[in-house]
Amino acid sequence: MIGRVPNWIVWVVGVIACIWVIPIIGIVVTSVRPPADVTLGWWRLDNIRFTLDAWMRVWDEYPLANAFWTTLWITLIGTSATMLLTPAAAYAFHFLKFPFRRTILVIIINAFVLPVQVVVIPLFQLWRDTGLIDNILAVLIPYVGLSFAWSIFLVKNFMEDFPKELIEAARIDGCGPLATFWFVVLPNSLAAVFAVGILQFLWCWNSLLLPMLYLRTNIPLPVLLTRVSGTYDLNWDLRSVAAIVTTIVPLIVFLVFQRQFAAGSQTRTGAKE
Amino acid sequence: MSISAADAAARSSQESSPVGGGRRKPIAVRRRRLGEVPAAWLLIIPVLILFAITVIYPLVETIRLSFFDIKGLGKPKFIGTGNYIKLFTDPAFRNTLWTTLMFTLGTTTITVSLGWFLAMLCSFAPQRTLVFRVMIFAAFGISEAVSGYMWISMLRPDQAGLLNSVIGLFSPGFAHPWLGDPNTALWMIIVAASWSGVGLPLMLCFAAVQGIPRTVLEAAYMDGAKPFAIMRFIMVPLSMPGVRVAIFINLLGALRAFDIIYVLTGGGPVRSTETVGYFMYRESMTQFKLGYGAAATVILLVAVMVVSIPAIIQRTAGAK
Repeated sequence: MIGRVPNWIVWVVGVIACIWVIPIIGIVVTSVRPPADVTLGWWRLDNIRFTLDAWMRVWDEYPLANAFWTTLWITLIGTSATMLLTPAAAYAFHFLKFPFRRTILVIIINAFVLPVQVVVIPLFQLWRDTGLIDNILAVLIPYVGLSFAWSIFLVKNFMEDFPKELIEAARIDGCGPLATFWFVVLPNSLAAVFAVGILQFLWCWNSLLLPMLYLRTNIPLPVLLTRVSGTYDLNWDLRSVAAIVTTIVPLIVFLVFQRQFAAGSQTRTGAKE
Repeated sequence: MSISAADAAARSSQESSPVGGGRRKPIAVRRRRLGEVPAAWLLIIPVLILFAITVIYPLVETIRLSFFDIKGLGKPKFIGTGNYIKLFTDPAFRNTLWTTLMFTLGTTTITVSLGWFLAMLCSFAPQRTLVFRVMIFAAFGISEAVSGYMWISMLRPDQAGLLNSVIGLFSPGFAHPWLGDPNTALWMIIVAASWSGVGLPLMLCFAAVQGIPRTVLEAAYMDGAKPFAIMRFIMVPLSMPGVRVAIFINLLGALRAFDIIYVLTGGGPVRSTETVGYFMYRESMTQFKLGYGAAATVILLVAVMVVSIPAIIQRTAGAK
């Protein structure tokens, strides 16, 4: 940055970074070595053989493919619903005037403090009484409903920089409130809507508590992984494959879009003005 | 952005059929349009319905249930503050409060201080540490169920656990059940949670330092400040906003923690790693004491609200 950078700084960061990826390397290596070779640890070099056996067998041993589709399906619906409903509401809160506007807005954007544990018991009773247990709606509704607290906040903040003149111009040209939203505001808020989509995608894919409680037959990947990963199940190779399959999609999404993620996650927890 | 905005406005007024006519034929009969208030309700009604089902109703219902004694499918019996009195006389719950405090303070301290320290180091060589930063940040993008599994395999009680093996280099034959010993299990959960968490403070503080205008740093350099002085008097104070955000995010996340505890220990051994957020799950969903679990949830909610007071004030004031 300024002046000469001592090399030891780069070395310290490098060593810590290498220690940091050891657990990741561990499961990748475990997944491609025969179990007999790694009974004393995946890092042992005394007998090196490569196999994709676990990658072939895991699909028969665990309902992994089914869980993958369930997860993908739930995540895509949950993400699209949030991406569709959020900008509409954010637009109404920011540009339109209606009774109780500020009261409702304050309640919604402060709901970010609620831990997911709060919904567990009431929704469990509600789904039990309405027969929605084991229906994907039982997790989709809370996924979408709980996202509004941060997503509306994020998109509305973004809209604060929107030039008022354009709204005026659209109105003079004959746009009603809905047309203004659809043709003027929405096309120019896509960056914020996209950031919301990425956060929601990761959150839906990774959630564990709600699907674990509300789904029985078609379970998503994180729930499947916890069911097969007790300490005394000995199929370390198969379970490592399952772990990689569980996290590969969100990890790639996360790494590709990490800039949007870092910006969004501050807003999500309400720490950013 | 302004160009595309103008473009969109132009397109909307010229091409789209319901509104385009007005410009070219000003005398044309005005189409009926939705007024502002009905339009607003139309746009927010789906949000309000979903929000009411998943936030308002559960919130009210959890508080209501916390005053009832409910066992399984039996009829709820109103017992006033009975559940709360029982909670604070229950040694398991009191232990839970202690565990929550240790877990929250432990993960927040380790995560933020290590992340901040790394961010300071990285700020001296932003280009050369890019790959290393991504490697550390990647752990943050791994779902908790998976990072829990990774740590189970790292902490295996036999020689195949990496931690045992590393210690075994110094004392051969060393084998400790890290997750099976009540004295070490909570610390291992803190380590695992910190492992995934460090990336966020690192990125936040690094971004804060990168946001310092170059002219400020150059001025300090011209005035003869050594790298250490630049760090001490410019980078450290200006990274504090990032630190505050990181502390808040970590406190909130740690108080609500569930996944990592469920995967690593399931609250055990002998309930030594149960936090309030986990206790609530255990009592209501495995023991079916819904009222008792709801009361624990309300305690958790209060703790979360107290931590969030500054953020709530800020958000409420900023909601225009």
